[in-house]
Amino acid sequence: MNLNGVEIRDSFAEAFPMAATRLVITADTPSWAETAARSMTGFATSVVGCGCEAAIERTIPGEETPDGRPGIAVLVFAMSLKALRKVVPARVGQCVLTAPSTACYSGLDGGPNVPIGKALRFFGDGHQIAKSLGGGRIWRIPVMDGEFVCDHAAGSIETAVGGGNFLILARSRTAALLAAEGAVAAMAGVANTILPFPGGVVRSGSKIGAKYPGLVASTNDAYCPTLRAHGRTALPPDAGSVLEIVIDGLSAADVAASMRVGIHAVCAIGEAGGILAVDAGNYGGRLGPFHFKLRELMA
Amino acid sequence: MTGWRLELRAPLAARADLSGIVPARLAGLGPAEIGRLDVPLGTRRVALGELFSVRSIASPVIELTGDPRLDGVGAGLDEGTILVEGTVGAHAGSGMTGGRLAIAGDAGEGLARGMRAGRVTLSGDAGPRVGGALPGAKAGMRGGVVAIAGDAGPRAGERLRGGLILVGGAAGADAAAGMIAGTLAVRGGLAGEAGVGMRRGSLILAQEPRVLATGFGDTGEHDLIALLVLARRVPELTELFGGPLTGRARRHVGDRLVGGEGEILVLC
Repeated sequence: MNLNGVEIRDSFAEAFPMAATRLVITADTPSWAETAARSMTGFATSVVGCGCEAAIERTIPGEETPDGRPGIAVLVFAMSLKALRKVVPARVGQCVLTAPSTACYSGLDGGPNVPIGKALRFFGDGHQIAKSLGGGRIWRIPVMDGEFVCDHAAGSIETAVGGGNFLILARSRTAALLAAEGAVAAMAGVANTILPFPGGVVRSGSKIGAKYPGLVASTNDAYCPTLRAHGRTALPPDAGSVLEIVIDGLSAADVAASMRVGIHAVCAIGEAGGILAVDAGNYGGRLGPFHFKLRELMA
Repeated sequence: MTGWRLELRAPLAARADLSGIVPARLAGLGPAEIGRLDVPLGTRRVALGELFSVRSIASPVIELTGDPRLDGVGAGLDEGTILVEGTVGAHAGSGMTGGRLAIAGDAGEGLARGMRAGRVTLSGDAGPRVGGALPGAKAGMRGGVVAIAGDAGPRAGERLRGGLILVGGAAGADAAAGMIAGTLAVRGGLAGEAGVGMRRGSLILAQEPRVLATGFGDTGEHDLIALLVLARRVPELTELFGGPLTGRARRHVGDRLVGGEGEILVLC
């Protein structure tokens, strides 16, 4: 398959099930809502090293937030509900509770509860106040700028999908980066998905295992241009740079939609822009049950 | 599903108690069977049909005509709707666990006492102890919504444990006495002290009370995000106070004499 001179390789992205929740962070100003959200989703690129994957999903106008103030929706993914229940209160407690004027609400209804105020209320040292009205329970925790308000818990789903991905094979680093940035911008509009890596882009794609015992992942040498001569390369002769985009979504359909939008954006730049091929990362089907076949996606 | 209209044959000569006469109890019965249900009247028990004419109606509700001596209307309601035309006696909506009770008139003492869930609306005035405790119970109403268009009598929200009571008019003396949790919102004035012995919960007022109970301390005016959330999640609160809440309120905390962390919020 070839789109605008870009080869769509006969490959598939291999993804796995995750537990996920959505939080809505509000503040007096959009800037402080974003500051808290960026802090809360920091160091959350990969479950391998961070315990969770998280990022901003979208900005929310005040008319749509629980308290009428500007807000940010973030998605948090973990390998299990137990892990999600551990990382969410820890991150909200350190990064949102601490940020001036902010509040934190559940952005997902139903499913098993993930604690927010249920865990953080104790910071109030007995002065915290619960309000159960309108079908929900909020906590008011006194802090030095007033009160930190949050929902008792957030909803969650255990059927989310993590690890959707595609690889951009380009002639140069500049071409690869421009294409990746274009894809990220286009994919930002796909609801229920995040791109957890910095700026949505990964340069250090990995393979499972390493020559060193105990290292669970190491560089994806088959896609490293400087290792082309080592004999295991998956690169065309004129490929000088590869970038990956990783997608987590609340469902397989969401991940597929995001991949489709991103690959279309990459192909729109085309061979003329230095894009040679689109590939995907997989582990031979051993890692996860979700297989996103590139050619089927783009058919 | 068939509904029923129960129309009083004559003004009651003694107090009658309709506790338990709710849609679930009448489901599957015919008019004759309903008429044979016995209810207390003064010192004896009589057939419901002696007091009311019973006929089926198309709407799946119970329609009742009220009487100031008719107690326990909607008491024990768990689902469905009871619509009342006129005034009712004591303990209407007592122990409700669901459903809707709408009274077009006044209600006597103990409206919604011990209520756990559901909704009560009253177009007139309520007697003493709205949302109070059932006999022998430590705590009063635990959940649900009670919306009173008129005034509430003394001790509204006494030992309230949860839920929301909205009073469109004024509230009598000793409102929120011993309140444990929940919310009592009063648009009109307060007669006498409020919040004596209050442990937790919120008394939301449109105007500063003339006399604050001993044991309350003024913490000043604040921009409370929680009020913004409540205004959006509970539209009745906004309607009660006649417009969007700004979130700004003066906060009095008490009753500190009993170690309480309750609050009286006076909207600015």
